[in-house]
Amino acid sequence: MNLNPFWSMSTNTSRKQHRSDNEEQGGHGDHRSSPARLSFGKKQLPAIPKNAVPITKPPSATIPVQSTNGTHASYGPFYLEYSLLAEFTLVIKQKLPGIYVQPSYKSALMWFGVIFIRHGLYQDGVFKFTVYIPDNYPDGECPKLVFDIPVFHPLVDPVSGELDVRRAFTKWRRNHNHIWQVLMYARTIFYKINTTEPLNPEAAVLYEKDVQLFKSKVVESVKLCNSHLFDQPKIDDPYAISFSPWNPAVHEEAKERMFAYKRRPEEQHKGTQVSGLSWVKPGSTQPFSKEDSPPQS
Amino acid sequence: MISLRVHVSCSDGLVAVRSKRPLPVSWCEAACPGTSMASMVASGNQDGPSVVLKGVDPETCMIVFKNHWAQVVKILEKHDPLRHTSVLTLGSSGRASRCGAIPGDEASAVQNYVEHILFLLMEEDCGQAGAMGPILEFVIMENIMERLFVWSLRREFTDDMKLEQLKMYEMLVGQARQPLLHHKPILRPLMMLLSSCSGTAAPQVEAELVLLLNQLCCVLAKDPSVLELFFHTSEDQGATNFLIFSLLIPYIHREGTVGQQARDALLLIMSLSAENQRVAKHIAENTFFCPVLATGLSGLYSSLPTKLDVPNEEWHCLHREDWLRIPALVQFLNSLEFCNAVIQVAHVDVRDQLVSYIYNGFLVPVLAPALHKTTVEEVMTTTAYLELFLRSVSEPALLQTFLSFILLHRYENVHILDTLVSRINTPFQLGTVSLALFRTLIGLYCEDVMLQLVLRYLIPCNHMMLSQRRVVRERDCYSVSAAKILALTPSCCSPDRSPPPLRQLESILFSKGPETPDKTESFSSDDGLGNSCTIGSELYLDVSYLHYLYDARLSISSCLRACQVWSAPYDGLDPPPDQYQAGVLEEPLLKTKQINIRKIKQPIVLRRPAPSADSTAAILELEWDDSYDACPVQNPEATVEEKTVLPEVEPPKHIQEMRRTAIMLVKDSYIEESEFQDDVLVYSLVAKKDSHDVERTQLRISESGASAGVEFKNGVKGSDAKMDGKSGQKNSTSEMAEDLLAQYEDLIRTLDPEVGDRMGGVEAEGEKREDEGGEEEEEMDFSAFTGETLESDTLPFPFGPKPRSGSTSRSPSVPFTGPFISVLLSRLENMLTNPLHVNLLLTGIVAQLAAYPQPLLRSFLLNTNLVFQPTVRSLYQVLAIVKTRIEELTVRRTDFTEMITTAQHWLLARESRATENTRSEEPGLLLQNPPPPKPKPMSLDHTDVFATVLFSEFLKELAAIAQEHSILSYIPMEE
Repeated sequence: MNLNPFWSMSTNTSRKQHRSDNEEQGGHGDHRSSPARLSFGKKQLPAIPKNAVPITKPPSATIPVQSTNGTHASYGPFYLEYSLLAEFTLVIKQKLPGIYVQPSYKSALMWFGVIFIRHGLYQDGVFKFTVYIPDNYPDGECPKLVFDIPVFHPLVDPVSGELDVRRAFTKWRRNHNHIWQVLMYARTIFYKINTTEPLNPEAAVLYEKDVQLFKSKVVESVKLCNSHLFDQPKIDDPYAISFSPWNPAVHEEAKERMFAYKRRPEEQHKGTQVSGLSWVKPGSTQPFSKEDSPPQS
Repeated sequence: MISLRVHVSCSDGLVAVRSKRPLPVSWCEAACPGTSMASMVASGNQDGPSVVLKGVDPETCMIVFKNHWAQVVKILEKHDPLRHTSVLTLGSSGRASRCGAIPGDEASAVQNYVEHILFLLMEEDCGQAGAMGPILEFVIMENIMERLFVWSLRREFTDDMKLEQLKMYEMLVGQARQPLLHHKPILRPLMMLLSSCSGTAAPQVEAELVLLLNQLCCVLAKDPSVLELFFHTSEDQGATNFLIFSLLIPYIHREGTVGQQARDALLLIMSLSAENQRVAKHIAENTFFCPVLATGLSGLYSSLPTKLDVPNEEWHCLHREDWLRIPALVQFLNSLEFCNAVIQVAHVDVRDQLVSYIYNGFLVPVLAPALHKTTVEEVMTTTAYLELFLRSVSEPALLQTFLSFILLHRYENVHILDTLVSRINTPFQLGTVSLALFRTLIGLYCEDVMLQLVLRYLIPCNHMMLSQRRVVRERDCYSVSAAKILALTPSCCSPDRSPPPLRQLESILFSKGPETPDKTESFSSDDGLGNSCTIGSELYLDVSYLHYLYDARLSISSCLRACQVWSAPYDGLDPPPDQYQAGVLEEPLLKTKQINIRKIKQPIVLRRPAPSADSTAAILELEWDDSYDACPVQNPEATVEEKTVLPEVEPPKHIQEMRRTAIMLVKDSYIEESEFQDDVLVYSLVAKKDSHDVERTQLRISESGASAGVEFKNGVKGSDAKMDGKSGQKNSTSEMAEDLLAQYEDLIRTLDPEVGDRMGGVEAEGEKREDEGGEEEEEMDFSAFTGETLESDTLPFPFGPKPRSGSTSRSPSVPFTGPFISVLLSRLENMLTNPLHVNLLLTGIVAQLAAYPQPLLRSFLLNTNLVFQPTVRSLYQVLAIVKTRIEELTVRRTDFTEMITTAQHWLLARESRATENTRSEEPGLLLQNPPPPKPKPMSLDHTDVFATVLFSEFLKELAAIAQEHSILSYIPMEE
């Protein structure tokens, strides 16, 4: 289960890609775009991680009908899946500071995440969480965000660890609300503390009445969370986020690759056989307006 | 007299070589019998040397060498006229004694010795620190090679003798262990030998010569320092500089091994030129390499069949197995491939020169007229050739040449591109062959092509409502468009109706949390802290759709990658819609590359049209263009008046006439205003008019005997005074071009009689064209086509229901998406009557277009939310029309649904048959795992049935592309 090395997961371009990478790299978040490495011509389903239980079963006679976005029921899951993929790419685009998420292997409706707090009251906190997205997305309720360990915070349920998301998204509106906003909100609560209508009244009261005690409770809570950092993931999933102590044999190479990554894309594209052509001068709309000779590949 | 020459030749070995005349036979009466020197040497080497040198010390080798050489010298001196006492007493007696037959035993003795000494030389290693070995030093001091060459001259210098000498050098050059060519005493006789072979015609000698030249080029490529020596030696000779290059040129277009070796050798020199300015300059300025190469293409093209034997109706492009059957085409492709390779490796000067010669010496004078021949078959054949050439060419500079010819060159004042687009709408195979050409063009991912073909019509954003412009960039996060497209699936093709194996279902658990035994049920995930979420359920997916998604992902991502080199994102902001101006296109190659052509100064002087004449012509065309493109359709009479007022800006008469008839047609019955302003597409409207003219049509058909030669003329019905003036100017240009061509031909004839003969063909053809231009009036006669479709009621319009005409640069106020899109959508709308292979091509092209990531194009084709101008037809609208027709069919014909299933099985079987030989145009239809049941035989005549099946698959393909766009186009590219 500890296939995912520390935090290198959230910059994956898409879940699909990750799946194919996962097969070859054993879960290392490899960033090269995968299509070129998949076998061409032959159509195939996304690869299944070695350690995952296959979750397809032979066609059954009964076809359960579920209408999601209207039209044909059998396409509903595709629309849902792509809506969530779109959400995920939006998250990537936002480059949320200190937040990493990754959809689970089993369902695009469940995302694993971790948030790093870099300053403020909760400084050095590393909080793992799970996002649950309703299956009638984007027409249903707003997604839930549940911390693995209930952080001591006025807006976090002290028992379930669920964050009060609904106060920020009273009604989930398609096209306006996106999952990255939920993640952003989860980050904000640790920097700007709100005590109205708390899920954890104790925390709210302490913050109002005795900040020092509140602070020490927070420090305790952060310590507790961090002490469970290397625990097995709460949910058994190949893509669940798990931490392990620094092991140079495992992590050094991955780290080097991450730092070397920025220099790579240029070389990457040279090798591909598909290359476009253009002799249009930038700013012109005339063909062959470039004055110099055609580019030499 | 002759003896005097021989004296000189013996002293410095030059004169005999300079006199190209063969030496008199009487000079050496006796033919030398016995085995040839070099063949013995060669065989001795092949069978393992007679002397084993391993371990023999160099001194012994040297002693043996000197011994053998001493023996040779004895014989040589015995027959050396210089040393003969009777040298000075010229006359018949002296001649006899001096040139007396060399006895056969002496000749073979020399050969024997030479075999050994060459072997010793070859096997000798370098001395210390790269110094010469002692044997080599001796060879140089004694000038052995030159003396041997002179010896062979003294004997009868027959082809056999040349062959011997060539083989000798070939072996030395190829196998010596130390560099030999650096030494003049070795290089000089070699160059003399080479230049003595320059006029050779015997095939064996040619083969050996080219082999040796090839080897010399290999040496050059490995050790460019030798290059200098080649230049210098030639200067000494007074012969053509860089002889080995000049000697190779005549073999450029040769068939077989000799041609291939020559081309390989030339390529080595070409890559040398990339680094060596001197070589590049020499090739570009002092040789005819580029003109020979380019006009050779014209020569080879002229020997291609003008009509192809088309295997069947489905055929639409030349595959490998097709062109392998046509030797002339193979040879042409070889030469084209060579041009491609030269452009790839050569110096930029050489490259530019070659490219401009190909443009001005092949594309414009040969291919352009060929694309406008008079019969459909010929035009179709040329189109198929052009498509094949485009696929064969890979080097950007050469592709640019071909593409700028297609996009910018005008023939009879019409851009080649417009003509090609208009032909998509023709019946017969020309239409499908043209489609295949565009498939290839679109597959190049070339911005210039896409700009001319589609994007320039979309840039101004006139095709949509003003308020919609921001929608162009909007992201379809929730697959709304895909859902709308899939909702067009005809009821008879509903996925719920199709039984396996036509439809494979895979149940995929769309849920999360720990595995629970009961998957079908929604369940609660308990994370141990009492928190639970109700999520997920098991769903069934159409597996074939997964394949479409996968395909879409591949094609979009490769397109995305390719388009990174483009100049603009085409997203409705950049290029800015309001500033878009359709400028007048001109041919840059004609202008800019003139300089390169001028570089060749001798011996032929190439005349080019004066720049002033060029510029005036350009201005005239510009004015003319403006007038007829901006002419408002709404009041055609006014336009005509306008034209009489301003006669100097009139369009060509045939276009005027076409438009007039088209306008009449519109006023009469065909109501789609603002749709046909185009020069070329007006043709099809005229065709409709002609289709009413039954009598005339039938007359025509009976005249032509309804034979294969359907007339396909190109529409110049005489010309008015203004046009005469213009065409006069044009003629002068083409005269220049022909002049140029004639000079190449002369040149080639002197270089290689074989190619020269072929060039004759081009010339003849050129003359023929002139004749045609003078006497025969050309017109695009569609009336003959329409005769076929007259009886058919199912076709309301012979070339598609609503041909949208287009203009190359229409006024920005009229919403229009361009002739290509219009034609494509027209043919697509006609899907139900199209044969299966046409629909495969059509849907393939639309899918290709849809994979382009540019928001303008993507939103036009795939965004079902975008609100277009009422006159603009969208892909979605066309698909909806087709769906409606299918539903009507389903209601009308009771057996329709059953036939659909049969057709699905048939296509499934076809798909699995074509596993290996799958052509790229066939989209991934109906994939399957289990072997499909043997399909019932079904006639392809049921076009509507097949089209229906294809239509529903096409919807999936498009929806998958739309879905993938919503992801892939938004993944941030690596910074």
